[in-house]
Amino acid sequence: MDILFSLAHGFAVATQPVNLLVAFIGCFVGTVIGALPGIGPVNGIAILIPLAFSLDLSPVSALILLTSVYYGSMFGGRIASILLNIPGDSSAVVTCIDGFPMAKQGRAADALAISAISSFVGGTLATVGLTVLAPTLAMAAIHFGPREYFALYVMAIVIVGGIATGNPAKTLAAGLLGLAIGTVGIDPATGIPRFTFGAYELYEGIDFVIVAIGLFAISEFLIYIEQRRTGPIEQVPVGRRTTALRQLTYPATSLRASLLGFVIGVLPGAGATLASFMGYALEKRVSDKDGTFGKGDPRGVAAPEAADNAAAGGSLVPMLTLGVPGSGTTAIMLGMLVTLNVQPGPLLFQQQPDIVWGLVAALYVSNVILLILNIPLVGLFAKLLTVPSHYLMPGVVTVSFLGVYSVNQNSFDLLLMVGFGVFGYLLRKLSIPLVPVVLGIILGTPMEQSLRRAMAASGGDIWTLVESPLALLLHAITACVILVAILREAGRRRNAAAVERGA
Amino acid sequence: MSDRIVGVLLALFAGWYSWEARSYAVDFGDPMGPALFPEILAPPVGLLGLYLVLRPDPDPEWSTGRYLLSQLATVVALVAYALLLQPLGFILATLVMVACLTAMLGARLPQALLGGVVSSLGFFALFDWFLGIPLPPGLAFGG
Repeated sequence: MDILFSLAHGFAVATQPVNLLVAFIGCFVGTVIGALPGIGPVNGIAILIPLAFSLDLSPVSALILLTSVYYGSMFGGRIASILLNIPGDSSAVVTCIDGFPMAKQGRAADALAISAISSFVGGTLATVGLTVLAPTLAMAAIHFGPREYFALYVMAIVIVGGIATGNPAKTLAAGLLGLAIGTVGIDPATGIPRFTFGAYELYEGIDFVIVAIGLFAISEFLIYIEQRRTGPIEQVPVGRRTTALRQLTYPATSLRASLLGFVIGVLPGAGATLASFMGYALEKRVSDKDGTFGKGDPRGVAAPEAADNAAAGGSLVPMLTLGVPGSGTTAIMLGMLVTLNVQPGPLLFQQQPDIVWGLVAALYVSNVILLILNIPLVGLFAKLLTVPSHYLMPGVVTVSFLGVYSVNQNSFDLLLMVGFGVFGYLLRKLSIPLVPVVLGIILGTPMEQSLRRAMAASGGDIWTLVESPLALLLHAITACVILVAILREAGRRRNAAAVERGA
Repeated sequence: MSDRIVGVLLALFAGWYSWEARSYAVDFGDPMGPALFPEILAPPVGLLGLYLVLRPDPDPEWSTGRYLLSQLATVVALVAYALLLQPLGFILATLVMVACLTAMLGARLPQALLGGVVSSLGFFALFDWFLGIPLPPGLAFGG
């Protein structure tokens, strides 16, 4: 009953004209960002943050803007997958498997409608999940002290960074580098400048927006130069729907995939991309009785789309209730909220219910807007894909510069961004993940703060960090994850060595 | 080889970072001082660096020739843009930068110039006039 009351209040916030407008713009821009290969949700959102600041949006409006973009990009990613066989972003990779064959068979419009509907189902169910789960989790989290938070931050850096994929040593090093970059600037507790080389521009620390835009957007351009596709890309025309909309809903499929996606989204470390893969795999196991998957089965389009949208919703749960992001995208949202002096976490639900419930209500609204935008207007977004990327990519670079410039209006920040762009490019070439770096920069300050508080309470004894059972449990989970990653890495090396000997 | 270099750099960084952090001790024996957190971070960074030196992954394919040249040219263009944005103003600087990048990505010169004109005027109109985010006007509007 409480929840319904709060939600009703949230709708009052979400339906204010400015918030409706922001949600609409966010959905539109998000769909575009998702649709265009080369701009993913993380870097799209990073680019938009400084713009949200310079427009002086209130925290709730800014958050609605970014989450609408996030949800929108999940909708948009599939358009390029289906029409071009090139995923618009990494969570839409699986949609190519059945989406492109459907388009080849002249059912592009059907595939687009199916994916829009299942995206809507996934997004809406996840929002329902968020509505129910978030307040409960926030109630439990209210008892967390600095030790538990410290353990959570350690866990976030280790797990969210994606230790499950790739070389664990590189992932951990990336997270630690991020934390180290986060220590640049005046230490908030003692006022001593750290690692500033005497440059006053660095006294306030390195803004995460600059790092994120540099690492993601600028490095993307450098990567693009060497992966440039030659020759025109062939686009399958959208055409007309061959089946009535009513028959393009796959309720059982969407429901299964949404549940799975939501759970994956809530868990740290696994984002929308993994959810879409698992959603597809599950559906294939359950429904692929005639071997139609991979040849244009509509359920193969519905499942990953429902799952990735549901995961996007799920990943907001830990960010809002604990203040610990469950993915790279939510980490950047967290960074923005902190800059706006809003500290997500259990207290947010009590102190600023407008923000939490306004956001939740806005998510319901955004899903409806996205469904409306994506069924009749899908042709418009498809047209955008025909803009040649030699116009598009420099445009993205310009907007990146604009965004960073609007923060402090100086060229120092711009140079810093270019520097991080080159750094990000090198990291990507070396398969060192970027998300942990950004996560480290954003979580560094609160992590150090919780460390200090915990130690101050114990009079400087570092063992206090593991003396609470809950903190110990969290550390144990983190340790297990690291151990599994190390064992898997060792196995991978053994296999690689065996292959080499065999050959 | 690449990973070994990264490992050495990480280890050196860790050493410098920890040494630099030690100079921040406010008071001898202050357990919660500004040096504590960096000093906790440094050892694992160093160890991971050493690990990479001993157990590197296979080398990535570094770009060469034409691609490497384009990438270097891009970085030069972006640095120049960062430095010239304020003195030249948004419109002029953006026109030149976008035209250069577009041409480098394979468009013909007239197309590239057109791209530059459209992007610079379009973004200026959108951000400065429509959204009210002030951009440096510079020479194009008489400073």
